[in-house]
Amino acid sequence: MKAEVLDEIKRKYGDRATDTPFERSLYSRDLAPVPALLVDPLFNTMPDLVVRPANVEEVAEILRTAWAGNIPVTPRAGASTVYFDSVPVKGGVVMDLNLLRGVVGLDEERMTVTVQAGTTWSELDDYLNRRGLTVKSYPSSAPVASIGGWFCMMGYGIGSLKYGSLLSQVRAAEVVLATGEVRVVTRDTDPPLSWFAASEGTLGIVTWLELEVRRLSPMKHFLIQFTNVPEMTRVLTELKDASVTPYNLHFADPACVRAMHDLGLTPGDVQDGCILEIDYEGTDRELAQAEDIIRTMAAGNKSINMLPNEVAEMEWKERFKALRLKRGGPAVLGGEVWLPADELAGYLADINKMSLRYGIDLISYGHVVTPEHATVMTMFYTDETKTLKYIFNLSLVKKIHDIGYRHHGCPYGVGLWNTPYIDRIFSRKRLAGLRERKKTLDPRGTMNPGKVYRSPLLMNPYIFGMGMDVMAGILRAAGRGGSG
Amino acid sequence: MSAEQGSRFTTLENEALICGRCGYCRSSCPVYRVIGWESASPRGKISMAKDIFAKGRKDGLSDEFVQRVAQCTLCGACSSICSTGIDTRTLWLELRKRIAQSGKGPKTYDDIRNTLLVNRNISTFSNDDRLEWAQDLDDPEVVEPRAGAEVGYFVGCVSSFFPQAAQISLAIAEIFGEAGVDFTTMGGEEWCCGFPLISSGFADDAREFTKHNVDKIKELGIHTLVASCASCYHVWKHESQAELAGYDLEVLHTTEYLARLVEEKGIELDELDEVVTYHDPCDLGRNSGVYDAPRKIITSIPGVRFVELAHNRSDSLCCGGGGNLQSVDPELAATIAQLRVEEIKESGATIVVSACQQCEQMLSTAIRSAGLPVRVMDISQLILEAMG
Repeated sequence: MKAEVLDEIKRKYGDRATDTPFERSLYSRDLAPVPALLVDPLFNTMPDLVVRPANVEEVAEILRTAWAGNIPVTPRAGASTVYFDSVPVKGGVVMDLNLLRGVVGLDEERMTVTVQAGTTWSELDDYLNRRGLTVKSYPSSAPVASIGGWFCMMGYGIGSLKYGSLLSQVRAAEVVLATGEVRVVTRDTDPPLSWFAASEGTLGIVTWLELEVRRLSPMKHFLIQFTNVPEMTRVLTELKDASVTPYNLHFADPACVRAMHDLGLTPGDVQDGCILEIDYEGTDRELAQAEDIIRTMAAGNKSINMLPNEVAEMEWKERFKALRLKRGGPAVLGGEVWLPADELAGYLADINKMSLRYGIDLISYGHVVTPEHATVMTMFYTDETKTLKYIFNLSLVKKIHDIGYRHHGCPYGVGLWNTPYIDRIFSRKRLAGLRERKKTLDPRGTMNPGKVYRSPLLMNPYIFGMGMDVMAGILRAAGRGGSG
Repeated sequence: MSAEQGSRFTTLENEALICGRCGYCRSSCPVYRVIGWESASPRGKISMAKDIFAKGRKDGLSDEFVQRVAQCTLCGACSSICSTGIDTRTLWLELRKRIAQSGKGPKTYDDIRNTLLVNRNISTFSNDDRLEWAQDLDDPEVVEPRAGAEVGYFVGCVSSFFPQAAQISLAIAEIFGEAGVDFTTMGGEEWCCGFPLISSGFADDAREFTKHNVDKIKELGIHTLVASCASCYHVWKHESQAELAGYDLEVLHTTEYLARLVEEKGIELDELDEVVTYHDPCDLGRNSGVYDAPRKIITSIPGVRFVELAHNRSDSLCCGGGGNLQSVDPELAATIAQLRVEEIKESGATIVVSACQQCEQMLSTAIRSAGLPVRVMDISQLILEAMG
């Protein structure tokens, strides 16, 4: 039955469907270089078929066919996460959504744009910029992240501090459910739009979204070097709560500054301390006020070094290139933590202690994305060609998340690899509610299975936690984590 | 990584490990835009190169992979956007070199190599006929090799042997003549610059060509070399430095030299009532950093209204003709050219100017099949027309 169904899809979609091992192998990976030794015994990440639908009718037809054959379907567009969100764990069909591209309509009266889900954030913003408009917020991976993909993740990034989550900016979306049924969802429908935000492609496939846009406005950029983390976090708090809200607030800790300096990447050739980037957009009046706030804060503060404007502008231009740090690796491992902003100083202090304990450089940087929360990436260099050492190093990712948890944080995003932390990410009640949604919309569990709702047996929190702690203990006793 | 930033390339193995598979390269890659499969994306190819060369999966060097590596125009757009700063253009060349060493490269590449090793040019003609194009000049003798000339004009294979492209060398010779430039050529001693060999994975063979050309330039006592082909220019500027060590040679593209002539009033330009746009050749723009000179020339012509294409300068789209793609997959190359023609159409231009014979050939064909009333011209032809 399964083979017949796959054949049917393949026949129907011709050169837009493939079952060659050569092609399929590339759809069994995302950004995370997880050793086959770990993945292969546990999951079937090789799709049986990859298909590229070009419109909602085709998406619906493929889903209907797969549903009838009880075949898992994994949606994929930019595939730019590290959690295997867009990698199958039970084979089946991978639906490559990159042909769903382009703007469907622009409504300048409502100040909304309707855009196909496979369009990248950079493509949409280029389209809007040519018309004097822009998006309200976007991910720090805008050149590859798709509109639908970011909506199905958490949707916090550059501009979120000022304009809120992506969900708050979406008016409507078209979603194809696991059964192939097409629905247009809003805040008032049943199910509502909010069910699909951060659902990580487990409830259906989003084909277009109607998003709020804004007029393009001038910007001002500031880059400040601090001698110490506590002073940086104090200023960060002061600025995020000031009368003019920054558009973007980005920070880098001393290890990050050192790593960037070693690679010749630090703005203004800064060698030490930590860095805070503050970007404002708005009217000329707002920008003048913002400049006053920054100058007043900086006046007489000896732990502050204001970097020249052109350096700040250059750093803004590089805002999508956080991965440039990887050049120091060549491999990196790390964890991204959703953290209360007022815990940032404590978190970074504990990360520093962990760094000393395990003898590795832990590099942290991140964004303040709401008045209450920051996303922090903490990472370290490793070597993926030394498989055993690399696997042991994975235990340090758990240690990073443990520190985040101690500071009331949790992993940012779930996918497959963060399922061992679901009891940290969701309250029991919330998780029960999410599982109920899944059961309602996808009772057979064919839509992106194995993600978000529960951990696989060998990755249940107890076994996973114990295993990781033992490996971390060995690394600590040996005093050799990271790439050394 | 851009031409201005310089290359950080280490080794194929290390760079493949550095790649974060972020996929920024996908949206800028013309080949991925047309083919659409992950294996056609730069990140897909690097991911496979990592398995093969950094992780020792030698069986991964399949025919499908070799085909994908050949399906690349070497336009460098992936390099500009790479979040980890990989000089992907160098990476692709290294990859093609490894494939050539394995003996698994496309047959077309072997054909290119054989032609070059026999004829010293990319055509089937004898290299002694290099100056055949000059027969259309009033005085063909003017381009005969001559020691001690102020400027050496490196004509390039395409403008030497292909009639349509020869209009460019004729235009340049006429402009130089009108402007009183003391110039010469290498005649039959000009060999292919070596670019087709480098881009086919035979960089070691290409050395013989660059060395020969450098030796001949030295023999003629030339200290300013002007190339009208963007790829020849790239080779002289970036790939011949070892051979040129210790010799004082200023390498200029015709756009740079002609901009100088225009600025110094060496040539007078009459009014042209046209809407002109400019297509940045990848090897001249993104891969060599020359953007302003051609624009200076166009905007200095009275009456011309200059319009930019939607993607321009370092963000320019490839014409589809680079990296030997036309020889291995002409259909793909033509489809890529059509993407560019869409932008030309949207610009409303009546003339699209470029500064590369290959770009001009690709765009001419695509514009013709699209039925657009747009003329494709080399910058030298535009100047000649404006000179009246």
